[in-house]
Amino acid sequence: MISNTKEVKALDFEISRSAEEKRELLYKDDICIGCGICEKTCPVDAIELGSIGAIVRTGADVPKIVCDEDKCVLCGMCSVVCPVDALEFKIDDESIKDMDEYPQLINSAEINDDTCIYCKACETACPRDSITIARDLPDRSKLVTGEIEIDKETCIDCGICEEMCPADAITMEHKLPTPDDPTVSSDIIVDKDKCVYCLICKKSCPVSAIKAACRTCSYGEYDLNPEDYKTTGSSFIDHETCVKCGWCQEICPVDAATVVKTFDGELSIDQDTCQACGACVDICPCNVLSFPESTKAGKRPEKVMSDENYCIYCGACESVCPVKAIDVKRTGIKHTPTKSKSWEKQIESLKT
Amino acid sequence: MEMELKVNQDNCLGCGVCVVACPVNASISNEVAGGHGSKTTETIMMVENGFIKLFSPEKCTKCGTCQLFCPTDAIWLE
Repeated sequence: MISNTKEVKALDFEISRSAEEKRELLYKDDICIGCGICEKTCPVDAIELGSIGAIVRTGADVPKIVCDEDKCVLCGMCSVVCPVDALEFKIDDESIKDMDEYPQLINSAEINDDTCIYCKACETACPRDSITIARDLPDRSKLVTGEIEIDKETCIDCGICEEMCPADAITMEHKLPTPDDPTVSSDIIVDKDKCVYCLICKKSCPVSAIKAACRTCSYGEYDLNPEDYKTTGSSFIDHETCVKCGWCQEICPVDAATVVKTFDGELSIDQDTCQACGACVDICPCNVLSFPESTKAGKRPEKVMSDENYCIYCGACESVCPVKAIDVKRTGIKHTPTKSKSWEKQIESLKT
Repeated sequence: MEMELKVNQDNCLGCGVCVVACPVNASISNEVAGGHGSKTTETIMMVENGFIKLFSPEKCTKCGTCQLFCPTDAIWLE
C-alpha cells in the first residue's frame, strides 16, 4: 500500500511516503537560517526559498522554505546539505545522519569542560543562543577570613551598621520600646556566612561597639583553601540550532571552544553598490555583518563591514541582497565520503 | 513562496521614507538616496500627489526595508 501524506504544523512541514520502507522529510522553520542551500541542491527542484528578507525582517508568518510534495522524491539530499538541522530525513524512523551509507557535512562545535572557566563569554556572544553555561560560584564565606563581634552592652541600637553593611550581613531586630524594656532593638545578629570583614561597620559605629578584624589583611590566608575559590560548572551546546560559526572559539579567553566549519570560502562586499539597507545584517545567522560607526565627525565609514572569522559561507546574505553587492564564494566542502557519484556531484556543486 | 509588495494609500502620509529607504530605488536613481525623492518611474515606488504609488513592483526583491521604515504600515509584503 503506497500512500502520500502531508502534515503541516504551523510553519513546519512533514512529507512522508510508506511503501517497502517509510521515508519522511521533516522541516523545522525556527531552525532554518534561510540560506537556500537546500533549494540549490534539490535534484528535482521541489524546494523553493521564500522571500527570505521580508520573512526574517518583518516576522511574517510564512515558512522560509516550501517543498512541493508532488515533486519531492524523498531522496534526503536536502537534509544532508542543510548547514543546520532544519531538515531531517528518516527512513523507517531512523535518521540518515546515523547511517554510514549517507554522506554528512563535517562540522562541529565543542567546549572542553576541563579548560572552561565558565566566564559565559561564549553564551553571550553566540548569535543563535545555542550555548548554556551553568556555573556554581564559590561560597563567599570560604574566600574571606576574619573575626567580628558586637558588644551588645555598648551598642546603642542605632542601626547604622545594618544600613552600611554592603553584604547585608547585619540584622537588627527592631522593636518599639516599652516601660519594662526601654530599648529599640531586641537583638543584633551578624551572619558570618555573608560578612566579608570589610570593617565598614566597625568604622561607622558611633560608639565603637564593634570589634572586627580581617585576617587576610593582618595575618594572611592560612586558613583558606585555594580549592574553594574555584567556580565549577558545565557547558551545553544545542547542536540543533548551532551553526558552527566560530564565535565561541574566537571569544573564549582560555581556548576551551573548538569549532570545525564545513565550508571554506570568501565573502566580499562591493561598497559602491551597497545601499546600506541592512537586509544582510538582519539575515546573517552568524553575526558576521554590521554597520560600522563613524570614527570621527565627518568621516564616512564603510557601509557594511564583515568579519569572516565568523562566516560559514552559507550564502544567505548574498541571496537576500537586493542590489547584488555581496559575493559569497565556497571553495571547499568537508564531508564524509559517498559511493554515489550523483550525490558527490551534487554536494560538490555547492562550490562556487 | 514568493511574497508580494502591497500599498494602502488610505494609510499613506506621503512622507516618502519608503522611497528613500528602498535599496533598489537608490541603485536605480541616485537622487532617491539623496532624499530628493524619485523623478523617474523606473523606481519601484514613488510619491505621487501626496500618496505612495507602485510603478515597477516587479523590480522588488522583497527585502522588507520599506516595511521596516514605513511609520503607518502603508507599504508591506505579504
